[in-house]
Amino acid sequence: MIGQVLVNGILLGGIYALVSLGLTLIFGVMRIINFAHGQFLMLAMYATYWLFQLYGMDPYVSILIVVPLMLVIGMGAYRMIIQPIIDASEMTHVFATLGLNLSLQGIALFLWQGDFRGIRTSYSSLVIHLGPLYINIPRLIIFLCAIAAILALFLFLKKTYTGKAIRASAQKRVAAQLMGVNLSKIYMIAFGIGIAIVGLTGAVLMPIYEVFPSVGSLFALVAFVVVVLGGLGNLGGALVGGIVIGVVESVSGVFIAPALKEGVYFIIFVIILLLRPTGIFGKAVIR
Amino acid sequence: MLKVEAIDVYYGDLQAVQGASFQVGKDQIVSLVGSNGAGKTTTLNAISGLHRPRSGTIRFGEINIERRGSHQIVELGIIQVPEGRMLFPEMTVMENLEMGCYSLRARKNFKNSLQEVIRLFPILAERKEQLAGTLSGGEQQMLAIGRGLMAQPKVLMLDEPSLGLAPLVVEEIIETIKTIRTRGTAILLVEQNVFHALSISDRAYILENGEIVMEGKGEELLKNEKVRKAYLGL
Amino acid sequence: MRENRSMAIRYILEEIRHPKAYLTLIAVGVLYIVVLSVKNPYWGDILTMTFLLGALSLSWNILGGYGGQFSLGHAGFFGIGAYTSTLLLIHYQISPWIGMLLGGGLAALIGGLIFYPCFRLKGIFFCLATLAFQEVVKIAAVHFRGLTGGAMGISIPFKAGLANMMFQGKTGYMLIALSFMIIIALVTLVMARSRFGYKLVALREDEDATETLGISTSRCKLLAAMISAFFAGCLGTFYAHYSTLVDPYSIFDMMLSVEFVIFAILGGVGTVLGPILGAFALVPIDALMRGYLGQGQQGVSFFAYGMLLTGVVIFLPQGILSWISSPLNRLMEALSGEKTRPEPRAGKIEPQAERAEKPSRSMQPTSILEIAGLDKSFGGLKVIQCLDFHVREGEIVGLIGPNGAGKTTCFNLITGFEEADAGRILFKGEDITGLKPPNRISKKGVARTFQIVKPLAGLTVTENILAGAAERAGSIHEARMKSRNIVDLLGLWEFRDIKASSLTLGGRKRLELAKALATEPTLLLLDEVMAGLNPTEVEQAIQLIKKISNRGITLLVIEHVMKAVMSLADRVVVIHHGQKICEGRPQDVIRDPGVIEAYLGKGYQYAEG
Repeated sequence: MIGQVLVNGILLGGIYALVSLGLTLIFGVMRIINFAHGQFLMLAMYATYWLFQLYGMDPYVSILIVVPLMLVIGMGAYRMIIQPIIDASEMTHVFATLGLNLSLQGIALFLWQGDFRGIRTSYSSLVIHLGPLYINIPRLIIFLCAIAAILALFLFLKKTYTGKAIRASAQKRVAAQLMGVNLSKIYMIAFGIGIAIVGLTGAVLMPIYEVFPSVGSLFALVAFVVVVLGGLGNLGGALVGGIVIGVVESVSGVFIAPALKEGVYFIIFVIILLLRPTGIFGKAVIR
Repeated sequence: MLKVEAIDVYYGDLQAVQGASFQVGKDQIVSLVGSNGAGKTTTLNAISGLHRPRSGTIRFGEINIERRGSHQIVELGIIQVPEGRMLFPEMTVMENLEMGCYSLRARKNFKNSLQEVIRLFPILAERKEQLAGTLSGGEQQMLAIGRGLMAQPKVLMLDEPSLGLAPLVVEEIIETIKTIRTRGTAILLVEQNVFHALSISDRAYILENGEIVMEGKGEELLKNEKVRKAYLGL
Repeated sequence: MRENRSMAIRYILEEIRHPKAYLTLIAVGVLYIVVLSVKNPYWGDILTMTFLLGALSLSWNILGGYGGQFSLGHAGFFGIGAYTSTLLLIHYQISPWIGMLLGGGLAALIGGLIFYPCFRLKGIFFCLATLAFQEVVKIAAVHFRGLTGGAMGISIPFKAGLANMMFQGKTGYMLIALSFMIIIALVTLVMARSRFGYKLVALREDEDATETLGISTSRCKLLAAMISAFFAGCLGTFYAHYSTLVDPYSIFDMMLSVEFVIFAILGGVGTVLGPILGAFALVPIDALMRGYLGQGQQGVSFFAYGMLLTGVVIFLPQGILSWISSPLNRLMEALSGEKTRPEPRAGKIEPQAERAEKPSRSMQPTSILEIAGLDKSFGGLKVIQCLDFHVREGEIVGLIGPNGAGKTTCFNLITGFEEADAGRILFKGEDITGLKPPNRISKKGVARTFQIVKPLAGLTVTENILAGAAERAGSIHEARMKSRNIVDLLGLWEFRDIKASSLTLGGRKRLELAKALATEPTLLLLDEVMAGLNPTEVEQAIQLIKKISNRGITLLVIEHVMKAVMSLADRVVVIHHGQKICEGRPQDVIRDPGVIEAYLGKGYQYAEG
């Protein structure tokens, strides 16, 4: 019994980790907390949904479309909204992205109303058995995607010139400029990548979650908790933080009360903020 | 090679540099000396494209560069080694040097540049995989200069390379700067350590409150009473 | 005390004659008349909600606009107030009017308890914490359904009557909501002009600079949070009785929290009118749209609010009020026939002449400041090692040394911005080593200026100085008088109403000095005051510092401009690599070989021959 609870928690953690990856990347590179993060997830989920509804495209196949689409949308959002205020105060970033959040929700509400929409694939409830435990396949796939995404990101940041430029800009902005790094271009790429990861997340979530205009807010709040817990800008921390929160939620859902499970991790969140705002693993700048 | 003419640089409403004019030629070491807040770093940042001057011109050869972006300035071969070194602390020595080679022009010559830098600073080869933040002060300065050299600079600008370093290390750095000059690079040196700066400079300019108040050959200024006044208020 | 009261009355009478005051009274009167004449319940509802949301926005504004702490979870207090008074009414038959005060009180208490530790969090982390707070309260309200009725909430049985805070028709509600709005606006106005108000906006502009003025920023924030939460809580009670239903999803709604923040931002944060303008601009339009668009309305509403928020934040960060404030001012001037603002003038500031007069020094000057064996490292780098020196009463001591020698760090250690690894700092014989936060040290009589000046940018010169005087003064009038004296002393009279951000560097340095002086310090630490000044300004600054010293204030001055050091310092301490290498009269120190070497480099001596 407890084993299953833990497994569920870990798999849930994979979801949370994947959702938070883009958020922590963007903060680590350019010190912006994107309050519209959840709405990009919502857009990716809707995109996946409509590709399925209109063209019968399997969500895992639609990754090939959704991810590049979100990459472009992310870069566009950066250019239009973030870049003009990149040097402004934190509060300006908060409210500008909050405004974006509301606008995107508004568009979704207007176009698709508040209905819950889901897709059912042949494997949505597929399960494999590991001894007494059962593991839901789509959730396992998400978990694996999370790990794959983190690894891919690590390699990209470590091995490519653009990746190194991103890390350099995150560590010492002025020095990076003195090396010839075009800062706005690099920020745009980093932001785009962050949103592309969100795109991946949206696509792989559709087999098991339903989409509605405010679905983004739910996930975003958790993402904030995970990111603060794991350390802003710390990619590995996003994975560990996600798993911790997933397990905490799963365990409190069973052993405390289902309605309170989110309350538990919010309280943990506030405690972490107060005791160690740099997160369990510290505010690691992208290594 | 590099000619700065009457630039005015402002931070908001505050004027940091006023009417500064000087030039640096090939194979030359030119110094800008002055106390803290005199406007030296601001001048370098204006040349590097980090901060646009409100008026005046900066010419590199025949081109006007005062309105260019920082990445374009680097592509042209004007490289700054900033004050306090500003290494990438979580990147290895090797990665820092690679970043030095970021510009497209420099990337082509990566292997050669690396060899030259290692020849100049053999210790960097030993510390290749070490994180830059863990090096000693002197080693960091060498890495910073090495990183600058990786970019194959035509003009190399050094902002207070001797800051916070032990005297012996400073001597080494000064020697290195002289060696770099022999390779044909024009050097613009900004320093608080007046003696060292003046003793290796072909030409020097004294900056006070954003204005150039004195200029001349390095050796002559060394012997000048007024220069001592500027620093010791005699 | 009686003087202060009659002065206060005279002040109020003077203010009322001002066009701003009587125009406001007229506007308020018009609003009441409108309220009394509206009979259509549809409009009645719109107006009630407008006033309610305006009032909520005003409450938020006290902490957010004036205090600079942007809470995104204020609906939490709104809901706490609503639930508290409702539960008290249903279970204990307590009158809603009393329940309202209790609900507001509980909200204030919870607000203080939870927000106080959160104030340590900077900017965005504070926002996130407030969001989490609201979510937790919502989840708790849903879960503890025995108490709160769970997700379905509690309904209040309708019983008309003033005592029950419920009415037939909308007029009663409108009147109460409007009155709430007016009351909170008044409270905000009074607060803004009190000593507390000046301290609050000062900390919003720059916390470090405010700490230096001896102001406990955490206590100010706490008070602002509690006042803000109290009003939000009271308004919750009103809403409960207006809608007769209190349920967690409507009341702890994140969109609601964001909405009244948007009103304040749109109208102009940190002003009294701003939130009201924002609410009046948006709420009616939103409600009307609901009528026209029906189904799609919510989406359009979200979209519009979102675009507005982003747009305002990027293009008009000071809100609508900044747009209309100049034409409004001109209207005022036209009405009153007098200039309300002096014309801003660029240019140099001339100091007033003053008799040079040195108070007689005591025969045995006491030691004001003593540094012994001070050590400080950052990472692996030892910035200060075994530093010893002292400053005697009435002296002007110069602290000089090459760049990076540790001088500013020394100041930071003395004023409590950094903590020493070892050693002691004694001020007037009292050990102040490691005393935190900085305001505790400032309160004892240590003032400082910053190397990179920290003006309270959004405030006028007078408001800057008032913030400095506010802590020690017994009343706002005493504070104003003291500020006036400092303004005169430093020759800032023409600039008294100009925003600090518009001053030249020379002006800002003067302002920095003025702020420090307003705290009536015993010891004044000046960090490179002369940097960036032209020779004329340097001379003026030297005269000013002499004046300050003549008033009996002890000075410790970090300087690079040698001319200043030579003319001002009684004694000079030279620091290099974090240690004292020389000490004595200025003319002796600069001839010292060790000092020359430190500044110019070893070879210089030999070059001399």
